[in-house]
Amino acid sequence: MHITRKEYLLEQKEKGRRLMGVFPALYPREILWALDIVPAEIWDPPLEIRQAGAHLQPYICSVVRLGLELILQGKCDFLDGFLFPHTCDSIQNLASVIYDFIGARKPCYFFYHPKIPHGHTARDYYLKNLKALAAELKRQFGPLKMDSLREKVDMGRRISELLGELYDLRAARRLDASNEAFYRTIRKGEYLFPDDYIAELEGFLTQTRSEESRNGATIILSGILPNPPQILTLLDDLDVQVGHDDLLNGSRRLLISNEKPGDPFEYMAECYFHMPPCPTRGSSISDRMRHLLSLINATGAKGVIFNVVKFCEPEWFDVPNLQEELKKRGVPSLVLDTELNQGLSGQMKTRLEAFIEIVRVHRESITTKH
Amino acid sequence: MTYFAGIDVGSLSTEAVIIDEDATMLGYSIQETGADPVRAATEALREALSLVGVSREQLHHVVATGYGRINIPFADRKITEISCHAMGAHHLFPDTGTVIDIGGQDSKVIRINAEGRVLDFTMNDKCAAGTGRFLEVMAGTFGVPVQELGELSLKAQKEIPISSVCTVFAESEVISLIAQNRPREQIIRGLHRAVVSRVWGMAQSVGIEGAVTMSGGVAKNRGIVALFEENLGHSIHIHSEPQIIGALGAALLARGEIHQK
Ligand SMILES: Nc1ncnc2c1ncn2[C@@H]1O[C@H](COP(=O)(O)OP(=O)(O)OP(=O)(O)O)[C@@H](O)[C@H]1O
Ligand SMILES: [Mg+2]
Repeated sequence: MHITRKEYLLEQKEKGRRLMGVFPALYPREILWALDIVPAEIWDPPLEIRQAGAHLQPYICSVVRLGLELILQGKCDFLDGFLFPHTCDSIQNLASVIYDFIGARKPCYFFYHPKIPHGHTARDYYLKNLKALAAELKRQFGPLKMDSLREKVDMGRRISELLGELYDLRAARRLDASNEAFYRTIRKGEYLFPDDYIAELEGFLTQTRSEESRNGATIILSGILPNPPQILTLLDDLDVQVGHDDLLNGSRRLLISNEKPGDPFEYMAECYFHMPPCPTRGSSISDRMRHLLSLINATGAKGVIFNVVKFCEPEWFDVPNLQEELKKRGVPSLVLDTELNQGLSGQMKTRLEAFIEIVRVHRESITTKH
Repeated sequence: MTYFAGIDVGSLSTEAVIIDEDATMLGYSIQETGADPVRAATEALREALSLVGVSREQLHHVVATGYGRINIPFADRKITEISCHAMGAHHLFPDTGTVIDIGGQDSKVIRINAEGRVLDFTMNDKCAAGTGRFLEVMAGTFGVPVQELGELSLKAQKEIPISSVCTVFAESEVISLIAQNRPREQIIRGLHRAVVSRVWGMAQSVGIEGAVTMSGGVAKNRGIVALFEENLGHSIHIHSEPQIIGALGAALLARGEIHQK
């Protein structure tokens, strides 16, 4: 598919579908799909910040900044509404800047999910909010047919399967794709309707599945999203593969449940509570650490890169502890604090390259010891 | 005999070092990087080669480092300054556990192991605070050569603290101190303190262990070295030409690659 995101969305609108601007990160996409709504996720629009600064404190991250800029520059005028998941305080504030203050002139929806993802009350709360969101959306975009919802739940499952397969192949070094191509493909899920996304992922799998196992160093990439993309291309140039990620818009959103879908709402809840740990859902450091170590074991990665969006509170809370724990276990890690779409400064490139040099020496010394 | 070269293309200076197969340093050249890094690298290599009487053909392997490493056409490999300064410092002072490299635009604190390999490092971001550039701007404000700044700071009996770390703010702070007729040496001493505090703060995230070696042009500033030593409570290794440590490390890594094969 060689059309741009904007062209695709306009085409969808032509077909009679509705478009919803969705802020990061977690939301029940199946409900939107079933209502024939295309979610267009807003993570890192390629814009220069001109107006958003006037509404936000200087210490607000660039995800929020760019999202607001997109609206202020009138680039969302073709959308039919906005959805704000309660991911962090900054996105919550953005919702109120847009809804209460600027006046979005479009329906705005809010989705709350539990921040302590265990126990019955959390599950009940989540189910209640799923149904509340469905009811609200129905009022504007309805009707919501259960058959359609079931069908979309199946599609969501299929997407998760395909993504799971891609991630597993990559972890097993049997995926012949650059880091840049991998994330370019994965990220199409931020705006493609599920049937198109499934086709895209299937095509990518056929193209990149490889019989030969890849050599070379492997790292784990942690953070919110793979931006600046120059991180990926620099790793490609250095012949380093991201073996797995712990990215909020990557594998932290992988919905995998062994249960067969029965009631769609129950199934969606089931998936939510099976997602990998994430600070935006209040996961503990020990859960996150266990998860990171499992990714390291599964891939043979020799280091972790924390690519943290500047001022991202949920991420920054955990990073020092995670680094400390990794250090205790002899796993090198690097923190890059990046601004979206700002590329990599010379210093950041040097830091990244020097880190890879450490990882390589580490790897050699481990291999020679054996 | 085969020879190896290391070239460090920094933001201000470019160095070339030639070593032989026994890792003995035969000679070096230091050039200003200027607006054309490739030319500076070519010139540094040419001069170093002619000083030691070795031809280009006798060079077995060349490693480029420094911010300009990317574009050097005659380099066989590129390695970051972090790894190169580590190896260079280790070679000159084998007990080195920590390297502090302060150059024109970067300052780095590097922790290394007994083989001269990097264990951990920290580095400044875009900001010029705590770099040679900061000292150059301040030298300009006083109208004294940057080479004399260190000696002036050592003359001060007292120190006037500078509250801004930012180069731009510190400069206007200095200008108003000059206007108040405050003693020049004391202000300069305060500026040196600002640089050292900044780098010292960075160092805390990796920790300082083992003997400390300073590299880069700012290691020639005795005022800076003295303040680091004061913080540490013991002396620091300073080579007679600290500016070439990165290029020396690059040459050693060039030699190491061949010897491993
Ligand atoms: N003789 C000297 N006395 C005191 N300071 C000096 C002397 N020569 C150079 N410097 C200082 O060293 C700095 C330059 O250091 P160096 O040559 O290591 O930088 P570089 O390697 O080009 O820069 P970078 O590594 O940041 O890219 C100057 O800014 C100056 O402050
Ligand atoms: Mg340098």
